[in-house]
Amino acid sequence: MRDAAPMQFDAIPSFLGAPIGDLEDLMPHHVAVIGYFCDNLDRPAPEQRYLARQLRYASRPGNEQTNTIDLGDLNVFPLERNKHLCAVTAQCAAILTTGARMTLVGGDASGLEALGIAAQKVMGSDVAVVSVSDGVVDNLPKAHPIVLSVDLGALAGIWKSRPRRLGGLSPTQMIAQIDATQGDVIAAALFGLAPALDDRGRTETRAALAILHAVTERLAKGAC
Amino acid sequence: MTNVQKRSMITGYAGLPFGKLSQCEAGCVGVLGVPSEVEHGSRTGTALAPDALRKMSQNVDSDFPVRGFDLGNLNPTGDWSHTLGQLVTQMLDRNIVPLVLGGASEVALTVLGALPDMPVVAAMPMVRQDVAVRSTNTVWLGLNNVQPAEVWDQICQRKMIWRSARQLDEGRGDGFEMCNAAILWVDISVLDLGHAAGADGLNPGGMEPETLVSVIGAMAYRWQAIVITGLAPCRDTRGMSELTAIETLNAALGNA
Repeated sequence: MRDAAPMQFDAIPSFLGAPIGDLEDLMPHHVAVIGYFCDNLDRPAPEQRYLARQLRYASRPGNEQTNTIDLGDLNVFPLERNKHLCAVTAQCAAILTTGARMTLVGGDASGLEALGIAAQKVMGSDVAVVSVSDGVVDNLPKAHPIVLSVDLGALAGIWKSRPRRLGGLSPTQMIAQIDATQGDVIAAALFGLAPALDDRGRTETRAALAILHAVTERLAKGAC
Repeated sequence: MTNVQKRSMITGYAGLPFGKLSQCEAGCVGVLGVPSEVEHGSRTGTALAPDALRKMSQNVDSDFPVRGFDLGNLNPTGDWSHTLGQLVTQMLDRNIVPLVLGGASEVALTVLGALPDMPVVAAMPMVRQDVAVRSTNTVWLGLNNVQPAEVWDQICQRKMIWRSARQLDEGRGDGFEMCNAAILWVDISVLDLGHAAGADGLNPGGMEPETLVSVIGAMAYRWQAIVITGLAPCRDTRGMSELTAIETLNAALGNA
């Protein structure tokens, strides 16, 4: 009988191949990417919560952005709405208090709601929630804090494994809108896609990954 | 409708309740599935279309724009053609719009046979002799590739309106004469193969799905009957073909 070969483990998958960190590791120049595993509260659709897992698996090391950290997943209580929103808001606020910027990945639109409340709380001023699918908002001052809403449900049917409508945006159009967003983007939520977890979901996963990349780049730019 | 089908689905097409013709009121639609299979060629699967459309219609973002009942499926093993003709005639007599989900093209020919003097708007890649000889002119949408010469001569002599898939995709879809009432026949093989492969015919260079929806949506006709044929859902695992059929129906009925 041969000796067992030493077992090789691949690196733990992380968003965009970014290093894995914790709240204590965050610095003001960091962009934290966090998974949000809840898809039954606001515009519920099963399997949206798997987007975070899918994007980690699809991320390949090599093109990671400096200053991006995979912060793991938020603690969620999807069966207790009030407790859930309080917990998610508190966790988002804790991240934003460090001065880092953040993006929630996956789940339904409830993450955006909690993120908006947290941003308001931390910034202590009006925080605008700007939706990428609504087009460019060009009348905001450069320093105005912004939470970017990236609803992947707005992608056109041709980009999805299980299309629900023909019309919509292409990933290129979404990325252009993200790049063109004015103001100080302090946080973003990427949600609204229930990816097929097999090869059928390849196109939508790659599209979502490219959009996540654009979101983290835009967050890293800060005010512009 | 079979008991098996009743048990397997809670609601009918686009959330409409399953019901009988006697429950339909004037101005409503009556959805009727005719799961007939194509008899020639290798791209079979049209028999699965009515139930695939029902299933897909539960998951789309757009709402069905009219009221009505889903009357279930006809049994394709019996004399469905005679039954379909009778049902269509009864619906029209009661001012109910038959929405017929085929099935193969024979389903549409049966509906057309029940309304022999009604103009037809036909979205399909090739002109057909059996439609071109009707007493009223047909509007042809989405023609593509070489057309049969004798039918084409007839279409030109009678000055029928036609638009190729390319013309429509390029936005040259205006200039249709207004018509009070017509039958709409959408053969899903009018769509480009690369955009929606779930058809019983291969059509490279066909219409884009969005074009079909917008062209039908822009036609201010009062549809007397609507028929979808040629959908082979197993050829399109993502469901773009079903989605296009559903959005086209919504666009057509949204103008009603």
